[in-house]
This record gives sequence, C-alpha cells and structure tokens, in this order.
Amino acid sequence: MPRYSIGSSLGAMSLVTLVAVAALLTYGGVRATRAQEPARATRTAALPSPQAGSDLAGRFISHADHIQPGMVSPQVGFVLRNPHEGDAAAAATGAKLFIAYNCIDCHGADGTGAMGPSLADGRWHFGGTSSEIFESIYQGRPEGMPAWGALISPDQIWLLVTYLRSLEAGRDVTTENFTGKTVERSGH
Amino acid sequence: MSQSHARLATSVALVTSIVLGACSRTDDRGPDGAAGNGASTVSGTRIAAPRTGSAGEWAHPAGDYSNSRFSELDQISAANAKNLHAAWTFSTGVLRGHEGQPLVIANTMYLVTPYPNVAYALDLTQEGAPLKWKARPPNSQTAVGLACCDVVNRGAAFADGRIFYNLLDGHTVAIDAASGALLWQTRMGSLARGETMTMAPIVVKGRVIVGSSGGEMGVRGWIAALDATSGKEVWRAYNVGPDRDIKVGARFKPFYGRADTSADQGATSWPGNTWQQGGATVWGWLSYDPELNLVYHGTSNPGPWNGNQRPGDNKWSAAIIARDADTGEMVWAFQPTPHDVWDYDAVNENILVDLPIGGRTRKSLVHFDRNGFAYTMDRATGEVLVAKPFVPMNWSTGVDLATGRPALVAEKLPEEGKKKSFICPSLEGGKNQQPAAFSPTTGLFYVPTNNLCMDFEARQVAYIPGTPYIGGSAPEVAGPGGYRGEFIAWDATTGRKVWGIREPYPVWGGALATKGDVVFYGTLDGWFKAANARTGELLWKFKVGSGVVGNPITYLGPDGKQYVAVYAGIGGDMGLLIAGDVASNLPFDVRDRGSTLPDLARWTSWGGMLFVFAL
Repeated sequence: MPRYSIGSSLGAMSLVTLVAVAALLTYGGVRATRAQEPARATRTAALPSPQAGSDLAGRFISHADHIQPGMVSPQVGFVLRNPHEGDAAAAATGAKLFIAYNCIDCHGADGTGAMGPSLADGRWHFGGTSSEIFESIYQGRPEGMPAWGALISPDQIWLLVTYLRSLEAGRDVTTENFTGKTVERSGH
Repeated sequence: MSQSHARLATSVALVTSIVLGACSRTDDRGPDGAAGNGASTVSGTRIAAPRTGSAGEWAHPAGDYSNSRFSELDQISAANAKNLHAAWTFSTGVLRGHEGQPLVIANTMYLVTPYPNVAYALDLTQEGAPLKWKARPPNSQTAVGLACCDVVNRGAAFADGRIFYNLLDGHTVAIDAASGALLWQTRMGSLARGETMTMAPIVVKGRVIVGSSGGEMGVRGWIAALDATSGKEVWRAYNVGPDRDIKVGARFKPFYGRADTSADQGATSWPGNTWQQGGATVWGWLSYDPELNLVYHGTSNPGPWNGNQRPGDNKWSAAIIARDADTGEMVWAFQPTPHDVWDYDAVNENILVDLPIGGRTRKSLVHFDRNGFAYTMDRATGEVLVAKPFVPMNWSTGVDLATGRPALVAEKLPEEGKKKSFICPSLEGGKNQQPAAFSPTTGLFYVPTNNLCMDFEARQVAYIPGTPYIGGSAPEVAGPGGYRGEFIAWDATTGRKVWGIREPYPVWGGALATKGDVVFYGTLDGWFKAANARTGELLWKFKVGSGVVGNPITYLGPDGKQYVAVYAGIGGDMGLLIAGDVASNLPFDVRDRGSTLPDLARWTSWGGMLFVFAL
C-alpha cells in the first residue's frame, strides 16, 4: 500500500515548494529511490570531487531504512573535504543559514537540541566528521531530517557543516551531582 | 503542539536561580470564610451529557462526551483515600511522554503508547492482567522528527466493539476490540507537509472524529469525520481559508462580530494567501453535546508565531469552534486570542456543563485557555458569560464581554526584532493539554495549571515544507511567586479560585474528579496525589516511576472494587524542556539539560508505566 502518494497534492504549489516537497518525500519513496540507485561498488568508483557542486546530486543513497548502528562511514575510502574547515567567517555565515533554513527550530538555539537532536554535545548518531555531517544534511536521516541536497548548494551545506563543527562540544560529562544548592556537573 | 507546541527555539540560555517553593496549599476563601461553592452540592449543576452505560467503565477519553472526567464511583472517599496502595503495574515498553489515558470496557483495559503507537488490551479478569492482544500498525519513523512536542498520543476511543486511535504519522486506525485485528487504516495527514496526529478521537453516531497536529510546521489545520465501519472520510473541515473549506454557511452565527457577514473571513483576515500555512490544528480534546448535536473543538496557534508576517485576526486560529456533528458545518466560533502572537492557542478542552449563572441555568461550556483566562460560555451561542484570569498574567488587563476581546498591554505584545520580557503566562499557557475535571457534587472545576513566564523575540521566518515555521524564541522562567504550577479548584459561575495546591513544577498531568469527593492528579516530579475535592487537603500521595503527564481514570474491577489508573512517563512539551536530551534517546545520559526546569532531573527520568491503585 503506498503510504505517501504525492501526485494529487502538487498541482497548485510553487516551484520552490515542489522542489522541497520532492526532497522531503524521499523518506517515503525509499524503495523506489533505492531501486534506481547504482550498487555501492559502482558508486564508490565514481567519486565526486569535493567541489563538484551539483555533480553530487544522486551520488548518495537515500537510506531511510537501512542505516544500522555503527555504520556511520559506509563509504569506505570516500572522504569529502570541507573547503571551509575551521574558517570562522564561514562558520558565521553558516550560523545565519542555520536560522534561514529553519534548522534552529528543530535543533534548537545554538544547536542545543529541541524537536531534533542536539548538535552541540559531541554525540552524533551518524558521525561527527565534516564529511559525515555533510552526508546527513545532504541526504537526510531517518527520523525526519530532510534531504537538503536537492534544495541548497553543496557550498551552503559546507558552510552549515563549518558552523556545526564550531559549536562547543565536550558537554558530555560523567557525573551530575544534585546534593548541593546547584546541580554540579563534572567530567572530561 | 504546538501540543503544544514546543518551545522549540526556546533559547536555552538560561536563567533560573529560582528557589522552588515547596508544594503548599493556598486557600482563597471568600470574606465570610466559606470555601466558595465548594461547601455543598450545587443545584442546577449538571454534566451536559453524562456517560451512558456502566459507571464502572471508562469508555471515552474524558470519561464522557462532556469532557467532565468525573466518575460516579465513590468507594474511595476523603475518609479512606489514605489507605490507597499500588495494586499492579504494566510497562508499555516505550520511554516517551505518556499523555492521555487508558480505556476500560467490559473488564478489558486498552492502552495506546507514544510512537510507535502500540495498542495493548489487558484482561482485568485474570490475576496480573495479562495481555489479550497487542497491535502495532505500521507507522513511519519520519514522523518522529516532525512532531513538535515529543511523540505523544492522547489515547483511543471506543465504539461498537472497536478501538480507534491516531498514529503519529497521520493515519487513523480501527482495531477489533476482541481480537486486536487491524480493521482499517486511513491516511489523513501528510508528513511531507509536516502534519502529524496526536489527539484522542471521539466517536459520534458511527463516525470517528479526528484532527491534525503540526501548528509549528506551517500546516493548515483540519478536523474530519470517518465512517467507523469503513474508515472512509465523511467530511473534513479546515479551520482557515475560504468559507467552503472551513464549512461556513447559512448556519454560521458567531456571537461576536455578527454584523460582519462578509464572505471568506477565514482567508480575508490574513494577508494574501498566508492562511495556507496558517496552522489552526486540532490536537486537543473534543467534546459533544447530543441535544444540540454539536461537536466542540479548539484550534491551535496561527503560523508562524511571528505575528508581523500575518497582520489581521487570523480566523479561525486560536479559536473555540462549534460544528454540526453530522456535516462539520461551523455553527459558531470564538477567538479568545485574536491575532495570537504569543503562541497561546485555544486548543484546550471544552467542558460541557449546565451551570447556574445570573439566576438561571445556562447551557455552558467552560474553557481554561492557554492565554490565562477561564471562559464560561453559552455553548449554544458562543456568548462569553464569565472570563477571569485563573493564573498570574500580565499580557492583558481583562476581557471585554461586549466584544469578547482581550485588552492588550503594549509592552507585553511581541514584535519582530524586539525582545519583550517576562510575559505571563508563557507560551505553555496557564494550562496546556493537561485536561481539567468537573464535579457536579461540588460544582467546581479541578484544573492543573502552569505558572511560567517568557521573554519573546519574534523574527522573520521562511516557509519550507516539512520544516518548522515558527519565527520566534521564548525562553521561560518561573512566574510570580517562584512556584511553577498549581492544582486549583475553580468556580466557573463567578470566575474565582476556591483553593489551590502549589507545586514546584508545572502540573502537566490531567485531573480526575470522583463522587467520593476525591480528586486525583500527577506531577512532573513523579508524585501521584489524591486531594479532598472540597478543601484541597492532600489526602495521599505515591511516588510513581517517572513524571506524570497523563490523565488518571477510575473504574470498577471485576472484583467489584474501585481502581484508579494513571500513566507515568515524562515527556510531551515538558519533556523537551526538562530533558534537553530528548533527542538522544538515552534517558540515562549525563549532560547539560534544558534550563527551564534544570533540577527536575533529580526527581525523575524517562519512563513508560501504567500504575493502578486500590484501597
């Protein structure tokens, strides 16, 4: 039974909306999408360059249903490089995009988490390297993360990645002690 | 969800060196020292549509069509409630916010969990209440990230041997109550547009009435009726847009603004086509008056929160609406907060009671709005009879009964690009989804309330389908007095608080009233409490396994004894606030948490348990 029929709902929408809807529906269209994807070995052989721009489109599997714990780096030997790595100005631009694309309303102010996971606590469901974060943004993730690769440019994704990598991590403490007047948190 | 809605964007920069007042009882007795109308049974007071069938069952989400959450059972009384003890428990296997309540029909208890929305049927006739069946309809994982305020479900409805409930991913399902077989599953909402479903249906004359969630996602809210046998949609009414879509026609007679008969006000009270992302979802509780044949529902906040992007009254967002149960036609509508720029919603339950007001019995509807006013209305016409604050508030100085509109306080009116400080109540409202109860034996309403205030900063936001459409942040702090919640008794004939039990945290669980003059409620820090309905005296409490955001029910067991049941499982909007780690899926994490209730983690962790109590 098709759970996500889309055809009838698209008539009156703007082009932008259409693009967005098409991207967002990739969760529902997993099976169809996957059937059209080349096998992984084929994909790995055709590595896009980090700056390849729209050439990246279609290079990733939209894998809403087959990511397993630990499989954060399915692309063995395939590392995308962030052209803005560590660039504070790029991070500042990324912070603006984080608001403009409504990331803030899912992931919270300063990426500290709300509807969606915190991006500032050093814990990553799908890996925290630049290339892994790029992949999460580009192709989306199972519990509602949209696939932005069809909506925004790879360079903007890199700016977002640069911003997220700049957020303070290391809040992952070992101990919370409630017995004093304030809650003390300690650890590494 | 806004379930409320979600203090998403609550910039968690925080505040709070607030000293928590210990839970304490307050007494707002009148000048003569009498505790208001609580002293005796109030003549002329009656639940509009008392439950039919056995008093020992709990067959509707709110016990009856009137949303009274009142039970005729009286074995548990103010005299013996101190002897309550845990009888048995059941783990739902899900560690998310357990809003809602079970049903009990024919010695079987039916539960629905938060996502993935598993349904269980427990056999109460056997020791240990073993499973009769469990059902887990397919439910898209994508929905998890589209729900504003945790992946809650507010419960199931029952009719003619079938259980009906909504899946988070926007489907309504019917399950055979005897076998657990999935009878039908109808797609009602679109995840691609950010629609989810969390509310509890009601069944009226063979039709299942359901509504959408997603007011923070720029959706266009609706309420719909499905044929209970086939699952086919019978009618669907949007709450914003042209008259045809929102089912405004010849029968539509709002009490206020009747002179303006212009067409399509659900569209013209918005700039351009902004109503298409106008929110006004139906994620709260439904009630039904069989005599008037009207279904009552609230609608959520308008989208986005930033009101500068949608000047106008934004009809019929943040509204109380009466619709014909057979056709969905709008009969009257009223906006407690026209042009809502505080995320005040109006989605809270409407309790249908007849009350003596002004020397005669009025067919009333009582509604405790997020905006902090308690409205006593004429449910046939939509006239506001009484509107008084039930919590500390400062955004309005009062409601003009001639127009129904609140008088605004300029410095508490959010504006794009400006930070407006310490607006009370916060966007969580004076009360949120936690439903109140009514007792005809005391004539009083029992209301779980919040006492939070917020700083509100609105900003421009672009609509991107399937992403939040909010445009604002609203960090919260404790309200005046430092306590964050209070369980109150309210006289809706005069608009007066009779007594209150102050709590250190918002009271996010619902109320239950009983003929034994005992009222029950649970707290975020994991206490389940019984209080004297007339005095507010605390009679008994028990520390359950997790914070309570669900609603107690009571029923008669096959052994003839009265039982009281409630979920323990913190979450919902308050789960987001307290946990901060809601998205990690690791309840045992040690990490910085949301700062609105930073100390709550000492008292509770995630859970998912049913607790059942008896004498």
